[in-house]
Amino acid sequence: MGTVKGCELPEDLYYHIDGNVWARRREDGSLDVGMTAYACSLAGQIVSFTPRKIGKTVRQDKSCGTVESGKWVGPVKAPVNGEIVAVNDAVVADPGLINRDPYGAGWVVRLQPSNWEEDRASLLTGAAALDAFAARMDADGFGGC
Amino acid sequence: MSGDAWRVVDTGLRPAAENMALDRALLEARQAGESPNTLRFLQFEPAALVGYHQDVARELHLEYCAAQGIAVQRRITGGGAIYFDPAQLGWELFLDRHGLGTADMAAIAARICNAAAAGLQALGVAARFRPRNDIEVDGRKISGTGGVFDGEALMYQGTLLIDFDVEKMLRVLRIPAEKLTRRAIASARERVVNLRELLGSLPPLDDVKAALTRAFAEAFGVDMAPAQLNDNEQRRYRGALAELDTREWVYQPERVYPPQTTRQGMHRCDGGLIYANVVFEPAARLLRQVWFHGDFFVSPRRLVADMEAALRNTPLADLRATLAGCFAARAAHGIGLGADDFATAVENAVAAAPAPAAPSCGEASHAD
Repeated sequence: MGTVKGCELPEDLYYHIDGNVWARRREDGSLDVGMTAYACSLAGQIVSFTPRKIGKTVRQDKSCGTVESGKWVGPVKAPVNGEIVAVNDAVVADPGLINRDPYGAGWVVRLQPSNWEEDRASLLTGAAALDAFAARMDADGFGGC
Repeated sequence: MSGDAWRVVDTGLRPAAENMALDRALLEARQAGESPNTLRFLQFEPAALVGYHQDVARELHLEYCAAQGIAVQRRITGGGAIYFDPAQLGWELFLDRHGLGTADMAAIAARICNAAAAGLQALGVAARFRPRNDIEVDGRKISGTGGVFDGEALMYQGTLLIDFDVEKMLRVLRIPAEKLTRRAIASARERVVNLRELLGSLPPLDDVKAALTRAFAEAFGVDMAPAQLNDNEQRRYRGALAELDTREWVYQPERVYPPQTTRQGMHRCDGGLIYANVVFEPAARLLRQVWFHGDFFVSPRRLVADMEAALRNTPLADLRATLAGCFAARAAHGIGLGADDFATAVENAVAAAPAPAAPSCGEASHAD
């Protein structure tokens, strides 16, 4: 398990650094998508989650759902181009799951990538992802999870 | 941000849909790099505004709004439902997150709210930021706030009560207060305050805007210059208005909202009788809103407002620690009661059978 400034960042996941989201590739090629522990730390307690609808096509870096914490509304950015094929209803009912288990039960939507081989080039994984998050945390003036 | 120049835009009195569309347009333009950092002032024709994630029917007395010609709109920011009319001033900041020195959303909100509070202090009002999102004067709320971000751009907005019709608010919003009685109105009045009441007369609006402008300029180390919307913003505004001035946007008919219960709990202790009216989400075990009333004495009196503010959107598991923290922070005490007694009232509400459907305002008794 990778950790940067106390934030867990599993090294086997793909990360969209600017969006502060992760993606986990499933056997059928679809991707589970969620917020990183770092994003959760910046947001605080998440109290609402509204996914975009199943069947919607989303572009990379555009919203595949919105979260609310501390009266702030913000998007969960799609890490790649694709179609929403599932949403996590458990997180709609209990958005705090995102804080409690960001890389497991707190996944938010499942995407079927439309062009994985090309889009994956813009994602980082492993040590490169940890380095990028470390740089971003410094730029953000972040103290730690 | 020292040396930077921010723009001040005053978009005047408008219908709610236009104000929401301007929020969207200015945020998009800021994110696209088409606009500088901006302070916007705005005013509303009478309107009930729900937060981005809220269910209109759950939050508002829609029949009353329709009968009174009160517009219903959905904000792009978070937080709860509010009633807005020309006696309130809206203030908004559209900023790039770079240069704020932090990406922590609570810290950004605190910095902005502290600046707004300083502006009110310059008017002679002892305003303070009350976490997580209010500006208050001696425990009474004078400005509620909320925000939205997308990429590196953010918009943070607040209401400022210049004057305020509490009874109208109670008729518009489905807040879990007592039924609409004189006592409920008095109880609500204890929770909010406005500039007219504090200053003894209505302050000139231009003075209020100038004080806020100076305070934001000082807090962020920037110069402020009045300006108009640019062409890109006008174009984006027209597009946003077409999307937001619709029933689809306001009512979001396809959205699924987690079930909520609104229940009253009672707790009798040596110090008296505490009622807690509680909006609760069972699936998330989340306290959405708590309203305390009853016959009891606590000092300072503001403790009730502190507790209600602290319990907004709080996991039930954190209830007792949160209330204990409120008592400790104010060195508060009650006569014959303590933080745990308020917690018990809340827990009794959560455990209570569903309340019978509350009468609508029109049916509610005005006798106390």
